[in-house]
Parts: sequence; structure tokens; C-alpha cells
Amino acid sequence: MPTISLTVNGQPVTEEVDAPTLLVKFLREQLKLTGTHVGCDTSQCGACVVHVNGEAVKSCTMLAVQADGAEILTIESLANNGTLHPMQQAFHDKHALQCGFCTPGMVMASIALVRDNPDPSEDDVRQGLEGNLCRCTGYQNIVQAVRAGAKNMRD
Amino acid sequence: MTTVEIGQALKRSEDFRLLTGKGKYVDDISLDGEARAVILRSPHAHARIVEIDRAAAAALDGVHLIVTGQDWLAEGFGPIPTRSAVNKNKDGSPLSEPPRHCLAIDRVRYVGEAVALIVADSEKIARDALELIDVTYEELPAVTDPRKALADGAPRIWDDIPNNLCVDFELGDEAATKAAFEAADHVISLDVENNRVTGVPIEPRGLVGTYDAETDTYLLYNSTQNVHAIRKTIAEDIFKISADKIHHIAPDVGGGFGAKNSVYPEPALVLYAAKQLQRPVKWIAERSESFLADTHGRNQSSKVQLALDSDGTFRALRTDTVGDIGAYCWTIGPFTPTGGSARTQGGPYAFETMYYSSRAVFTNTMPMDPYRGAGRPEGTYQIERIVEAAASQLGLDPVALRRKNLIPAEKLPMKSPMGLDIDSGNFPEVFERTLALSDRDGYSERVAASKAAGRARGFAIAPYLECTGGGPKEFAGIQFAADGTITLSVGSQGTGTGHETAMPQILSAKLGLPVEKIRYRQGDTDATPLGGGHGGSRCLEVGGGAVVRATEAVIDKAKAIAAHLLNSQADDISFADGQFSDAKTNQSTPMEEVVRASFETGRLPQDMEPGCLDSDAIFERGIISCPNGCHAAEVEVDPETGAVAVANYWIVDDFGTIINPLLADGQVMGGVAQGIGQALYEDAVYDEDTGQLLAGSLMDYALPRADLIPNMVIRYYEDAPTAKNPLGVKGAGEAGCCPAPPVIVNAILNALKPYGVTDLSMPVTSEKVWQAIHDAKP
Ligand code: FES
Ligand code: FES
Repeated sequence: MPTISLTVNGQPVTEEVDAPTLLVKFLREQLKLTGTHVGCDTSQCGACVVHVNGEAVKSCTMLAVQADGAEILTIESLANNGTLHPMQQAFHDKHALQCGFCTPGMVMASIALVRDNPDPSEDDVRQGLEGNLCRCTGYQNIVQAVRAGAKNMRD
Repeated sequence: MTTVEIGQALKRSEDFRLLTGKGKYVDDISLDGEARAVILRSPHAHARIVEIDRAAAAALDGVHLIVTGQDWLAEGFGPIPTRSAVNKNKDGSPLSEPPRHCLAIDRVRYVGEAVALIVADSEKIARDALELIDVTYEELPAVTDPRKALADGAPRIWDDIPNNLCVDFELGDEAATKAAFEAADHVISLDVENNRVTGVPIEPRGLVGTYDAETDTYLLYNSTQNVHAIRKTIAEDIFKISADKIHHIAPDVGGGFGAKNSVYPEPALVLYAAKQLQRPVKWIAERSESFLADTHGRNQSSKVQLALDSDGTFRALRTDTVGDIGAYCWTIGPFTPTGGSARTQGGPYAFETMYYSSRAVFTNTMPMDPYRGAGRPEGTYQIERIVEAAASQLGLDPVALRRKNLIPAEKLPMKSPMGLDIDSGNFPEVFERTLALSDRDGYSERVAASKAAGRARGFAIAPYLECTGGGPKEFAGIQFAADGTITLSVGSQGTGTGHETAMPQILSAKLGLPVEKIRYRQGDTDATPLGGGHGGSRCLEVGGGAVVRATEAVIDKAKAIAAHLLNSQADDISFADGQFSDAKTNQSTPMEEVVRASFETGRLPQDMEPGCLDSDAIFERGIISCPNGCHAAEVEVDPETGAVAVANYWIVDDFGTIINPLLADGQVMGGVAQGIGQALYEDAVYDEDTGQLLAGSLMDYALPRADLIPNMVIRYYEDAPTAKNPLGVKGAGEAGCCPAPPVIVNAILNALKPYGVTDLSMPVTSEKVWQAIHDAKP
């Protein structure tokens, strides 16, 4: 089995992995970081989005061995001692989550979106979140949350 | 301390957990020594199982159990019965209910039907083993269209069920309706198709089961909407053991929409495997498996007829429906196209008489069970489509025609010709408020702007009337702890719907106790002695009702303690705003103080014991409630490409009392998005020749994305709470799904009127629109 070394949520990690293991399975099953979710088998839903070297990546589209040497951030890294990240706070304030299953991926994708576009219009957000499916909210509150979260992140 | 009010937009207490990755969904639970289960599913729509050769699979290292239908039968396990409330034909004979076992016995009847269970040390080994099982099938002719399934000579899905007919049904006065049709000036007829869709909760179904040999009991974690009812069926009907042998827990559930309300085969299979192997067993559905093996909904073909006078007054409505139920009677599958679709026929319009008839039909497809609304969206779609068609064919203004026929407020309470008890509401007022909200004055300008951009704009409005459903009875229990925490346990269940916030909000408001001290328990057969789970928009209605009743029981006991503390008589004590007061002595004490005293023997009346404030209540609704409202929408159609965009969406809903507007908005937006999804994108379509599910993944089944759903403007009409439950609520969970499909389709037809397009079927894809424009061209 290959051995990989990477940084996950700021912690150095060295682990043996079975070569075909997807990054999402590695995070969930080997590192027990279950905040990253699996909602599909065709890379459509975005529930699995994490940051790989600062970019939003669907972690079901990548092998764990491809993350060798990478810096990974998952949803578990965001809140600081019980204080939510501004984007998480905006999701809470705007009621942008119901069942919460899409939420970790939504939040990670939204943070990456706002990093590229600090003041996104409604359209920017709707287009930018095309790769993340939510069945509960009808997206309206998510869109509001991302714009409010962007403002929180700017301030 | 924070006490909260009913009607306050309290933010959710479950959010912190779910936002930080600390939610606990079934797949997040792993137990030591856990084995993984996978299911071998039928690749054929209809075939005889000739032989199952499992030798190579069983020989694989790490494979521990392979179970086929014959093995299952040999264990003596029972079939899963249907609980359809409509269980008799028109002539009184029982519905045809073929046996539904957890695994196919000697024949498969739909693609995706469970054929064998494989359990191994890992998912990978289990999947490898699955590939090695060699099933010899002898294919049989299949039928996936319910109308064709009814025809003489159609393939028989069940040898002993002629014409694949499960049950026939009627409601209303056939003779009076016929007479009204004969007397009417106009009769409008329309064939209305309601396509097959599926719930697609983003969390796929999943299970972890364990068995404890010492106590002979099972523990089941299940991503389900209904722990009590499902446990009862698994225990009593399948395993023939008593229900208390299974502890059934729904942890965080990632959406349901009906698709997690059924008794599926997998839970019993997983528990059986856990017992056989004496180790925990996990099963998690893959998304493509969810499309095949989660229940589907809708799929009704209806002939709708409207009789009206020359002045536009509605006289009578007649609907005849063929409803697909798939290959088996699933949990309550036969109910949806029969009783479930009959009750709200005619919507909020006044009719002298109505007649509804339908047939529930078997096909070689995944069985149907309730999908958000279960029959009411179909009814709303039928009436709104035919009203629009009537306006169009008779040259009447569709807004004026609707306005003219709405049931006037002074006619309420009343019973509809379908027997629906409509007690409260003001349909004309809600209709006018929706019109006012939708800025009709600015419409012509928006039409001109669309036109300038090469697009056609259309408008439609759809008033609707629906009803609640699900189990009528619910339990709530309140337990106080000496440290000030309060545990509230309710037998209804949230699946992302915010119950952890709304139910404590009710308790806090009623008792004046701090909301942050309340712990909420749900979805656990150990937490409540009974529970009806999630479905039929029932949770606030009956679950919230039970919470109110339990708080009343607390107040009764607390009054005696307060009287003791204040040296008063219990009869002189009143309770308001969290304070017990005696008007005679002008003394008062807060609820929190009474709760503290309830743990101190010295401060209690002699006949009361510490901990005496704990209270339970069961609330049982007498009659279902009638949520209603009115939605309006504008769409833009690009005639060049056929692409449709929803430009505006306006809503006025009457859900009675609004407990938490933030959560109510969430329900409305989610429901409307699913309705728009059905209207424009979603289609769980089978290939007619092969019976293969064509929409078998998220690449083929078009779930609406963020850029496809419009912003919605939402208002509530709160002046007509219902007296049918203690909170005056009417249910909010499914309403959005009712008016959204017809309002979108009618708005498209309105936009395409100049092109001569008069009919379109859901989902209204750009291809269909383009084709319709071209077909209509002279
Ligand atoms: S799990 Fe659905 S996109 Fe990765
Ligand atoms: S909140 Fe449930 S899928 Fe988005």
C-alpha cells in the first residue's frame, strides 16, 4: 500500500492508503472526518467539497494518493473555539440549511467562491454554486447567506 | 434566560452541529467489527429467476453471508403488508395485495428489485462478490405504462391479478354529477398527465444494525422518517417477534420528502445479517441505487372534465385517474391515486357536485409511495390545468374566472362534495392579496421588456387547497432535571425541518422557560412510547398539539406548587407570561422558581413528590386540517431555444398560526423548488420496451440547481387559524409542491398563446417547448 503525507486541517498526516481510495473515503473512513459527505456517485452533488491547496474540489473526484503533499481543509477546520466562520454564521443567520447534508460542501464551495469574487452578485452566486445540489432549501436562503457571508468576510 | 414567543423567527439550534461537520448521519456511525452489506438487484424489468449460483462469490475471502429469496422464505419470514387506508374495491372486495418479501422469491418484477444480500468484511469485497453471483433469468414481457398495463392481453405482473388492477375507487355523487354535466352550458375536457418523480434526499438511505445475543434484541440506526411504524412492521410482520425487541433510532436525517417513510426491505435484511454474523452490519445506498430502489411518486393519467355555465359559474367536476403504483403495494402505495388524490379535488372552488374515480395499477417499475404531497399536488394540477383550459377555450379572463368561483369566506365552515371538512380560511382574500403582491400594474412593461429581448412572457395564478395526513395521534413528554435542563421528547420527527427549534420554541413560549435549557429528543423508539414520525405535514399539527397538551399538564401541577409557595389556594392562581400569580394577595412567582421547588421536598405540598412536574400527553386530531393559499408566477420563454426561466414567484399561504416564520419560509421555498423541479426538469422515466430506468443517476435525473430556482416573495395569511388543534396550525410541509407545477405550466401556456400552443406535459423541457411551437405553426 502506498503511503501519503499531507496536511489536513493544519495537522500533518502520514497514512497508508489502498491505491483506489477516493479522497472523500480517506477523509471520512480513515481520518474519521465525517463532516464531508457523499451524496452521489457521479460527481454531481457537491456534498463532498473540500479545499485542496486553497481550491474547492469535489473530494469524490480525486484519489487520496493524488493528495500526497497537499494541504486539505474540511468543514471541521472552520469554526474556532465555538466561534463560527463568517460564512457558517451567515448560513445560520439566513436559515440556509435544513437537513444539513449538503451544507458542508455548500459552505466550502461558497468560501472558495467568495475568495475569488469578494462581492458576488446574486447571479454570480447562483452560477457559482451550480455544482452543489440542495434538495431542501430551494437555494434562496443559501444565495442570501453567501452574499451576507461575503460581506462578513470582507469586514 | 431567553423565553421565546410563538411567531418569532427564532434561529435554529441544530445549525451549529450541522454547520461544523458534527452532524451524525447514519453513514457517520461506524461500529467496531462492522461488516458491510450490499444488495444484488434485478437487471430485468420482468423475469423468472431460474437459478442463482453463488459458489464463486461465497468462496471469496472475507465474504460471510449470501442470502437469496429462497433462503429468506425458508427462515419463515413474513411479507411486508400494505397499510393503504383504501383497501377495498368499489364492490367491497379487498384490494389485490401480492406478497412483498424482502428479497425476490422466484420472479423479479422491476429493475432494481432486491435479489440477494451479500455481507462481507468490506464494501469492496462485498461488491466483488456481488459481481460473482451468477443469476440465470428467463425474461418475461414487461409493461411500464399503467394504461397499457390495464389493457386486456397486457403482460400479467401477478398471475392471479387480472388486468394488473390493484384496486378501483370512487368518491362523490356520480348521478348528481352526471345530471349537472347534462344541464351545464359548457363541458371542458382535458387529459392531464402527472409525471413520475422521486424524492432524491441528498443523503441516500443507510442503515447500521446490531444484534445482542444476550438480550435477544436488535439496535437499528436508520435514515428514516418513521421509527415506530417501521419497527412494528419489521418486528411483527417480517420477523414475527415483539416490537420491543428492536430499538430503532433515526439520527440526523438528510432529507426525506416521503422517500424515507416506507418499509423497505433493507432494514430487515441488515438486522438478519447482524444476528447471523453476530456483528454490526452497515448498508449505505449509492445514489444510482437510490434512483432504482427509493420509492417514486405521482405518475397519474387523468381525464378531467369541468362543467360550467355560460357566465363562467362552475357546476361540476369529474375526474377519472389511472394511477401507477409500481410492481407491488408498497407501504401505502395504493392510497395515493385513490383516497389521497380524491380528498382535495376541486381545490378552493365552489362546486355543487363532484365525482372522482380511479384505478391503482401494477406496472414493472419501482413501487410508488407518498412523495411530498401524495395526491394533493396531483389534484391541484388537475383543477388548475382545466380551469386555465376553460378560460382559454371560452375566451374568459383566467383571473376573473378563478375569482368568480372561489368559495366565499362566509360559506365556511363547510364540507366539500368530497367530504373534506373546510373549517377556516378566506380564499378570495388570499387570492386578492396574491394578485396585489404580483404587481399586475407593471406586467405590461415587463412583457414589453421580455419581447424586446426576444422572449415571450407569461403569467399564471393558482389558488390551492390541500390537507394534512399521516398518523392522527402524537405523543409529547416533558421531563425536568434538578439542574434546570428540560427534556422534550416528541414522537413526530424532523428530517431537516427544524423541529429541534420549533418544538422547544412552543414549550418555552407556553411555560416561560429558557429555550436554551431544552434538550430535544425525537426519532428514537426509546424516547417516546409511540410516535407517528414525519409525513402528511402533520408534525406541528399533532406533535405541536401534544407539546401544548403536555405543557398544560405541567401548568396544572405547577399551580398547586405555586399555591403552596405563595400560601394561596390553587384555584386562585393564574398563569401568564411565565408567572404564577394570586390576584387576591398580589403575590407571584415565576415558573423557573416552581421548577426548582419541585425538586425540594420541603417546598412541595404534602401530596407531591420531587420530580412531580414531569408530564406526558397524547394529542389526537379529530379532523385533518386544510392548508391553503395562492401562488402566482411569471415565466420567460425563449422561442428560439424553447428554454424557460421562472422570472417571478409570489406566494400568500394560509397555514393558520405561524410558529416560526423562518422555518415556514424554508418549507415553502423547498416545496416550491420541488414543484418547479417537477414542472420543468425532473422525470423518473422508464424505457417502455426494456423497462430500464433511464433516469438512473444525477446525470439523467435533472434536480434543480441554484441558477434554475427563482427568488420567492412569501406572505402569510394568519387571520384564520384552525380550531382543529391547540396551536391553530394547518401544516406547511407539502403545500409548496401543490400550486407550483400548475402555476408554472399555465404561465408557460400563457406565454405561448400567441404561438398557438395549448397543451404541454411535465416536465416542460426546452425541447418540448421548441417542438410544441413548431408543431403549432400553421
Ligand atoms: S459525492 Fe456527490 S459530488 Fe462528490
Ligand atoms: S439542506 Fe438538505 S440538502 Fe441542502
